[in-house]
Amino acid sequence: MEARVLKPVLGVYCAAFILFLYGPMIILAILSFQGPGGGPQFPIIEWSTYWYQHLLGMTPPGRISRLPIGDSLLRSLTLALMTTVVSTVLGVITAQGFRARFKASGVVFYLVILGMIVPGVLVGLGMALLTNMLGIDRSWWGTAFVLHVVYTFPFAFLVMLAIFNRFDRSVEEASLSLGVSPVQTFRRVTFPMIFPGVLSAMLFSFTLSYDEFSRTLFTSGRQLTLPLTIYGTFSVEIYPNIFAFGVLTTLFSFTLLLIYALLMLRAVRSAQSFKGQEEAE
Amino acid sequence: MLSLSSVTKRYGDVTALDRLSVTVPDDAYVSLLGASGSGKTTLLRVIAGFEEPDGGTVTHDGRRLDGVAPHRRGIGFVFQNFALFPHLSVADNVAFGLRYREDNPVRDAAELKKRVADVIHLVGLEGLETRKVTAISGGQRQRVALARTLVTEPRLVLLDEPLGALDANLRERMCDELRAIRERLKVTFLHVTGSETEALLMGDTVAVLSAGSIAQIGPASSLFSAPRSADVARHLNAYNVLSGRVRKGGFEGAGGRFPLPGELPVRDGAPVEIALRFDRISVAPAGKGAAGGASIPARFIASEFTGASVLSFFRLDDGTLLQVVAHLSGPAPRSFTKDELYDLSFNPQDVIPFTERAA
Repeated sequence: MEARVLKPVLGVYCAAFILFLYGPMIILAILSFQGPGGGPQFPIIEWSTYWYQHLLGMTPPGRISRLPIGDSLLRSLTLALMTTVVSTVLGVITAQGFRARFKASGVVFYLVILGMIVPGVLVGLGMALLTNMLGIDRSWWGTAFVLHVVYTFPFAFLVMLAIFNRFDRSVEEASLSLGVSPVQTFRRVTFPMIFPGVLSAMLFSFTLSYDEFSRTLFTSGRQLTLPLTIYGTFSVEIYPNIFAFGVLTTLFSFTLLLIYALLMLRAVRSAQSFKGQEEAE
Repeated sequence: MLSLSSVTKRYGDVTALDRLSVTVPDDAYVSLLGASGSGKTTLLRVIAGFEEPDGGTVTHDGRRLDGVAPHRRGIGFVFQNFALFPHLSVADNVAFGLRYREDNPVRDAAELKKRVADVIHLVGLEGLETRKVTAISGGQRQRVALARTLVTEPRLVLLDEPLGALDANLRERMCDELRAIRERLKVTFLHVTGSETEALLMGDTVAVLSAGSIAQIGPASSLFSAPRSADVARHLNAYNVLSGRVRKGGFEGAGGRFPLPGELPVRDGAPVEIALRFDRISVAPAGKGAAGGASIPARFIASEFTGASVLSFFRLDDGTLLQVVAHLSGPAPRSFTKDELYDLSFNPQDVIPFTERAA
């Protein structure tokens, strides 16, 4: 087909795809501005920010109870942060270990990757049974946290593995030959150069953990995380305040992404990767 | 003084270094010539400690080096791709070793600044201190790599094809500067290269690395005029090497028969290889070879004009290729006809015979 025809066709297809992708979110965002008397569906009776005020406790108490998300939001954020730190550190260390060929490295690789392949429901259920047998209390900061790390660590590991794959080892050797110890070399050379990758690994870990449902469902015990709490409200009755909350979380995620993008831009600018040095080879 | 004794390094079935022994004197420029795959980079990496040898010992100034961590060896390394720290400025790249080294780091900011400024002046990088190393030219990067190493004052600097990434006229300038800088600092440079001109130009001493061991080491001029093996002669890229047998004290082989200089320590019929310099051959039409000398009939293939000289290729009946260099400063060389037969004449006294490793 000629490019003259192909281009607009592909353009329309692409636009449709994006609309499909963001459609649900757009509907959600529109409905969050429903008036006080309206329900979680069209038509919009009256435009207002009532449900945002309701969410934040700025409306007089009424018939509709507030979303019980305060504590679970805090729990989810804490859990995601803990998971991010542990998974990223483990991911960097493991990928660093994989730079040298070692015996059974293939087996170890698949054992690590298994954590992201195994269905979450199964792992969650298995963990619940195991803790029951052993008589351990389930909690979001204990059992659920372990599963979050098992799940996100492979992602962080793969990101770092890809980064190290393109890493020019001679830069580290240059540092060693100047009398700088391996630990200092990692701190002063390797880490600044892989920092963009570390940021990506952190972003992956955070979003995957913040969002995690199936593993957490069976292992968080009595104190619920945010996704579980939101799911719980569905079983009563849905009001537009949940949409308002959805919009706020999305904005929060975008803020994270923006921070990530800015940090990334700075890191890439300052490192300009290895351009010019690869030319020399 | 650096000395390696019986150093062996294997990668699986491949032997990169085969019981290699060599001594590198203090305050000298030693160049190490080797084809790609001859193990020259492996040799440097073993000395620097990035690889450990499977056998043999490495000592530097009486201190055993093998088994010592690379950052405790006190040996500088200049990489072919420069391996600069891309996230640091020129000055920070140069200051890196002094600032962060394990042994005796320089903590005094003023002293650090002064030493960095001195070496930047030495390599001629003034004015570029605050630039990113990604924003400077190839030749400038080379200088940063050199300055970064020299500022830590190693007694021995290993240079792995340091000029390989530069273009031709820059390479010549850097050659002179490398020599001058080394003489000023009185350190030892061990410079590895695949280019025979670079090796001969740079090195006070030239070592030829072949098949994982040192084939010959000596002053550049004597090594060039008297290679001790056919292998060395081939590396110098200035000799035709022919193989044949010894007959009555002379040579018999693809090129015919001619007498050999001196007494050969082998019996009649033993295999022999001979080396004949490109520029010791004169070309005449068939049947008109210079009287009194030896002469080989060969067909003309092609010529290459290289500026100051013309390189001509001839083929013997058995397919062996011979090269002849005619310098343009001499009598103007004739032009030859393709596939025509010519006599390649030379003085048998110029032939260097090798009886040892010929097979």
